[in-house]
Amino acid sequence: MAAQPLMRIENLVKHFHVRLGAFGERAATVHALDDVNFDILEGETLSLVGESGCGKSTTGFTLLNLHRATEGKVIYQGKNIVELDERAMRPYRRQLQIVFQDPYSTLNPRMTIGEAVGEPILFHKLATKAELKDRISTLLADVGLPPRFASRYPHELSGGQRQRVAIARALACQPKFIVCDEAISALDVSVQAQIINLLLDLQQKYGLTYLFIAHDLAVVRHISDRVGVMYLGRLAELATREELFEHPLHPYTKALLSAVPEADPAHERSRKRQILQGDVPSPLNPPAGCRFHTRCPIAMDVCGKVVPEWREARPGHMVACHAVTEGLPG
Amino acid sequence: MSVVPMTTTPIEIEPPVSLWRDAWHRLRRNKLAVFGLIIVIVLAFTALFGPYLTPYDFLSQDLNGRNLAPSLSHLFGTDDLGRDVFSRVVYGTRTAFLVAIVVTFIAVLIGVTLGALAGFFGGFLDKAVMWLTDMTMSIPNLLLVVVINASLKSPISSWMEARYLATLNPFYRETIWVDFLLVFGSMALISWPPYARLVRAQVLSIRSRPYITAAQALGLTNRIILMRYVVPNALGPLIVAVSAGLGTAMVLESAFSFLGVGVNPPTPSWGNMISDGLRVWQHYPHLLAAPAAVLGLASVAFSFLGDGLNDALNPRGAK
Amino acid sequence: MMMANDIRPVPSAASERLLDVKGLTIEIETRNGPATIVDGIDLHVGKGETLGIVGESGCGKSLTMLSMMRLLPNKIRVTKGEANFAGRDLQKMSNSELRKVRGGDVGFIFQDPMTSLNPVMRIGQQLAEPLIYHRGMSKAEARKRAGELLKLVGIPGAEDRLDAYPHELSGGMRQRVMIAIGLACNPQLLIADEPTTALDVTIQAQIVDLVKDLRDKLGMSVVWITHDLALIAGLVDRINVLYAGTVVEDAPVDALFSNPSHPYTQGLLASIPKLSDERSARLSSIGGTPPEPGRRPKGCPFAPRCPLAEAVCHERVPSLEGIGQNGAHRVACFVAQRKLEAA
Repeated sequence: MAAQPLMRIENLVKHFHVRLGAFGERAATVHALDDVNFDILEGETLSLVGESGCGKSTTGFTLLNLHRATEGKVIYQGKNIVELDERAMRPYRRQLQIVFQDPYSTLNPRMTIGEAVGEPILFHKLATKAELKDRISTLLADVGLPPRFASRYPHELSGGQRQRVAIARALACQPKFIVCDEAISALDVSVQAQIINLLLDLQQKYGLTYLFIAHDLAVVRHISDRVGVMYLGRLAELATREELFEHPLHPYTKALLSAVPEADPAHERSRKRQILQGDVPSPLNPPAGCRFHTRCPIAMDVCGKVVPEWREARPGHMVACHAVTEGLPG
Repeated sequence: MSVVPMTTTPIEIEPPVSLWRDAWHRLRRNKLAVFGLIIVIVLAFTALFGPYLTPYDFLSQDLNGRNLAPSLSHLFGTDDLGRDVFSRVVYGTRTAFLVAIVVTFIAVLIGVTLGALAGFFGGFLDKAVMWLTDMTMSIPNLLLVVVINASLKSPISSWMEARYLATLNPFYRETIWVDFLLVFGSMALISWPPYARLVRAQVLSIRSRPYITAAQALGLTNRIILMRYVVPNALGPLIVAVSAGLGTAMVLESAFSFLGVGVNPPTPSWGNMISDGLRVWQHYPHLLAAPAAVLGLASVAFSFLGDGLNDALNPRGAK
Repeated sequence: MMMANDIRPVPSAASERLLDVKGLTIEIETRNGPATIVDGIDLHVGKGETLGIVGESGCGKSLTMLSMMRLLPNKIRVTKGEANFAGRDLQKMSNSELRKVRGGDVGFIFQDPMTSLNPVMRIGQQLAEPLIYHRGMSKAEARKRAGELLKLVGIPGAEDRLDAYPHELSGGMRQRVMIAIGLACNPQLLIADEPTTALDVTIQAQIVDLVKDLRDKLGMSVVWITHDLALIAGLVDRINVLYAGTVVEDAPVDALFSNPSHPYTQGLLASIPKLSDERSARLSSIGGTPPEPGRRPKGCPFAPRCPLAEAVCHERVPSLEGIGQNGAHRVACFVAQRKLEAA
């Protein structure tokens, strides 16, 4: 893969300060994201997977500067965009778009589809008023909706149709990069497939780069070039999709993969799942050392003390695990 | 397994249904709400044009025709000074609407401004506004009106009288405006908290909706987000509250006037007419029945309309 | 955790029907009059059998199960049909008889364990309640049994958790509590309505394995409602595929996956991404969206989206006919039925 990095994420940290107790008397810190490092390559689909609360959505929000990063850098076009204020960020907002999970609540119920799609076009001055109508029709056609939908309101549309509108709205900005934050998770299976196909088509047509945040590993396996696995605010492993699904190194990745159901009854009945014991610890007080060590089947002494280094175990295959690093079975 | 190609579903073309139009459809199907709406429109029309259409002046007395029973020439009869009760009820409608609109307008203005600021900016401002709201809500309205009536009204009235005698400027002759401004101004000053709370809660909840984040991700400015995203979505519940608030203000006006701390005779108000009628109801029941019935009708109409608007604008609750 | 599932005798569906639903029709009141949501559905569950009900949102899969217990929301009601449980029509039972069935002979597990548990009641009390009500246990007995139940569903430190409130438990633990409540009275039938949808993948796998394990241990029948075909592949004996309020295909699980016969089932299976897929290969998808209640097409409800639809499909509604497996594999599709005749 000779592609250039489109975006470089360096030591990204996001902590949320919350107040606990009945009267908010105790201050606490949610370690949503700690020391995350990766590149997003031009034109690729990079997926982030992990269970709820692992920080995958926070990563998406933070690198678009929708959440203020606590520490670290996100380098885009030579600029660290996470330190920009809203005004300085505006030209980048156009290029960096996001599609959200819930299509029912990401559209303003008081705006027609045409208004919603046209708004960013006019705001970023990407077309004149005269061209606007054509532009909206083109965008709706791009996402597989007939032009007459422009005069509809969101509540008249099905979930899949709304998600198409949300995608059209992101496309209206002529972006280079789109974060898909669980963009298909709320949709029915048959509609999911439609939207996945749509995202793939648009990527080809416009050379888009996706950061695809999801928990459905079957879908991730289908559409990703590379996959990153997150656990409790840290990246555990990142590799190309073949490498990750064929040769997972991190014990958490292995457990995650073994939990994915396959549409094959005989295989499902006879398969042996690696069941993880216990629950994900609270991000308010994450375990010291490797954050996975409390549930890890191969945890060693060092795992509870030292944070494992984020390093390349095989070419292009990054992992943070002491057992792997020491060449133990992993 | 065969690949299933995309098939296009024939969808009949329908006109777009905006949420407002949808709400209007729902409202029209609600019989009680339509009844309320019609009554409110009739009363509003009466308040605006009624006094010009009535055959008698509401003040002109006919001492030969006192306490007449309802008849064709006097629809609701006459009172103890021979004034036409129908004309007085009609004028009372104007009083009631004037008071309700002025009080509600001021209260909504204060409430919406404070509530929106508190909700949008949060932090210290929010705390301060909420504190002020709680303080204001703890003031009993009847007590406040009585106190103002007792302490401020007579000095101002006598001052105006003195000014009139000194300058003969007709501006100072009409003391009725003092009633209105003092009593109902103070009423407005204590009835804004519900609006402030409502708007603050609305803004808070709308601010956390994904479509606001989506708008931010598009790079839109705060001003656009406030005007195009927050305000239109907060409007529905406010309309419901205002419609109910108008009815409440009317009833309050009548209550105060009934107790003698609101609109004072000879200016007709449903409240002071009920008060007058109550003394002689055994002999002349129509003097009590006419204003009481109209007040009841108005109160019920606003409450039906408010309920109907609530169901129409918040269909999730009704489904 | 793994039970020797392959040697578990698959109960013959025809043998003895624990639950038998016939011609159940459910309507919702709308602005434009009543609209049909569930259209004369037939389904049955044998003793000890595990049935998967699969369909997309709005296909009526949850309402069908709720209706049998008369737990339908306002404005939605059963207009036709019967639902027999252990030989008695649930629709004709008095309210007090039905209450004995609910939570007694039939256990429920709902989708969202947070909102289905009472937040102000301790776990132990919520577990004990059906035991006291249905089984007439004393408080002490019920508490003891509640502790056993929590242990049964694999909650560590079970006895200590009896005094916990729902919010003190994680999502997976809460779902285990829901399952424990569903199992409290040794039900003959456990109805699980999307019990893992709100949970993470690893927890999802735990819950599926747990139910499988408990079923084999306790010998009850299970109805598992879901939109995820792959999830239940290793769990169920038979699957009913629902579309727009009708059963379009009813087949033993292996037959359904190896030989899906209804175009909708085929489409559903094809739209699941598979291991062997090339990256960026287009997924097969079903165009369009399911019909809304009140706008059902005249003929087969799937016809407007069906790639194989013929003239007859738009005219008449196909009935569920046996096409193999000694009539155990049934499909409601003119095209599939004709193919069989031709063969």
